[in-house]
Amino acid sequence: MVGIVSFLCTTAAASENLPKGNFETGLFQPLRYGLSEKIEIGTHPVLMFFIPNLAVQKHHPNWAGLALASRHSLFVPTPLLKMVTKKGVGGFISPEFDVPLMIALKNEIQLKRTLNDSWILSGTAGLTLAYCSKKLDKRTTIDLPVVFPRLGVFYNGYGINFRLDFSGTLLPRLDLLTDLNVLLLPGMEEGFAFEHKSLLTWALSNRTDIQIGYKLIFGEYPFGVQWHLLPLLDILWRW
Amino acid sequence: MKPKHSLIRTFSTLGLMGFVLLSCEPLVTEFRDIEDAILYESSSKTNIQNSPDSLLVMTWNVRFGAARIPWFGDSCGDRVIMTSGEVVVHLENIADYINNIQPDILLLQEVDVESKRSGYVDQVRWFLDNTYFNYGAYASMWQAQFIPSDGLGRVDAGNAILSRWEITEAERIQLPLRTDQDGLTQYFYLRRNILKTRIDVPNHDFYAVCTHTTAFATDDTKQKHIEMFYETISSIDTNAVFIAGGDLNSVPPESTTDYCMSDICSGESFHQAGDDPEHKEGSYFYNFVGEPNLIQPFYTYFNSAIGVVDASLESNFTHSPWNTDEESENYTDSDYWDRKLDYLFSNQPLKEGKTHQNQHQLSDHAPVSAVLGLP
Repeated sequence: MVGIVSFLCTTAAASENLPKGNFETGLFQPLRYGLSEKIEIGTHPVLMFFIPNLAVQKHHPNWAGLALASRHSLFVPTPLLKMVTKKGVGGFISPEFDVPLMIALKNEIQLKRTLNDSWILSGTAGLTLAYCSKKLDKRTTIDLPVVFPRLGVFYNGYGINFRLDFSGTLLPRLDLLTDLNVLLLPGMEEGFAFEHKSLLTWALSNRTDIQIGYKLIFGEYPFGVQWHLLPLLDILWRW
Repeated sequence: MKPKHSLIRTFSTLGLMGFVLLSCEPLVTEFRDIEDAILYESSSKTNIQNSPDSLLVMTWNVRFGAARIPWFGDSCGDRVIMTSGEVVVHLENIADYINNIQPDILLLQEVDVESKRSGYVDQVRWFLDNTYFNYGAYASMWQAQFIPSDGLGRVDAGNAILSRWEITEAERIQLPLRTDQDGLTQYFYLRRNILKTRIDVPNHDFYAVCTHTTAFATDDTKQKHIEMFYETISSIDTNAVFIAGGDLNSVPPESTTDYCMSDICSGESFHQAGDDPEHKEGSYFYNFVGEPNLIQPFYTYFNSAIGVVDASLESNFTHSPWNTDEESENYTDSDYWDRKLDYLFSNQPLKEGKTHQNQHQLSDHAPVSAVLGLP
């Protein structure tokens, strides 16, 4: 579950594409591959068996002096949700309900401004479209932070997100990423979530980073509103 | 003016430190041994008697508004999550009955206040808004952000006391946890309690004490719960008046102790060589020596709504799990209940004790009431 939460937390446009031919992966973050200087593809190889997922990020020509990128990702949570729809321990969804085929397509546009040698500010807007082969019973929601607003698109049909990222180098070998993220499910009663993440990345070597941070979440849920503070931890490898 | 890099670094560090200091709500709430219970007050008060000489008191396990649905945990069923609309209909039926009987003090068990299984309806608030009661107290026995089992999700359920008069003190007393469970199960499992309240009944020092003891323990946890309940009410000032009761999950002395074969679900097997467990949890009342007589001290030292002799009569049975022959034309009221688990005791005389068996669709427990004579 930690891995899945981390995967959901980090399926966002990366500030920089990987160089062509390069790979990067984390314990929890997806495997990324630089297909070309402008195109990167990504998937989480382990979670692929539970949540089939694929992402493509493309850098476009600059616009108004700002770097422009788009990210398009697809994920299918059906196999994982079917696994956790069960009696007994591990049952996140009651087995009295059916989980249909569910597919989500997320599209984001990112504009990036380089502030100075070390710091970058970027803004992202996204639209997620969701398809279910059958209408989902609202009692199947998993009312947990990170999970609820992202699976909420399947109950609402679509969702919108806005994100502001601030990243850069604090010290040699120590980078910081901090972001503010708003997720909206227009028309849904519990349709607002705000997330703030800060991640420190320490370069252990040229090929290995360790990341540690937190995610602060305010969300609307079927039971009301709640704040959550979650730890984030990952190790990244590049080759 | 500090360089920009330094300013950014400073603010980032302070921000990180600040958020680290934020406290988090635990995944599962583990209560202190004794702590304040939660008090409620009705938004519109009803008139109350200034000097009553008796009180109508009642205890009722309302099964979190599930009425008689085949819920997975306590009957041979598959239901887990109700809609809020479904729950409200059940609560309306319960409230109609309460409003008809008009108890002055009501002890409730299995009340949900924020549970996914009951549509997140705050049932204490709901009862205050839909009955004449003015005040309430609530003590959770199961409070978790998420139970990762059977689709239960978020849960907050426990004991409640409703009163016409102001509840001036309310205490949650933790009961011992089961010791027949592994650590992980115990962490996510119920933490039963005694809810002890002081109520501003005119001219009297008055206590109402409500509990719901363990149902499924196969060790001596039930003995610890019953003994602690007995000690709690025994320690009340002898000059005060108390009403105490609830779902004690214990049968009266000299009663049948084995309901395994009548409660058995399809696919289960009990009492056969090699069966594990040998007995069905919650259906067997002889897990340890002395269990059949756990309630005896209450009959010996206190007054009870239903006397010890009458307690074993079918007409005073208060519970049965899901009955597939509901609303059979050939059934009498007593046919819907097969054991007594619910009790009322006091240090003052209790008269007109009654088991309300006629309402057999409102819960898997029947309410018990009595008239408490005030000194």
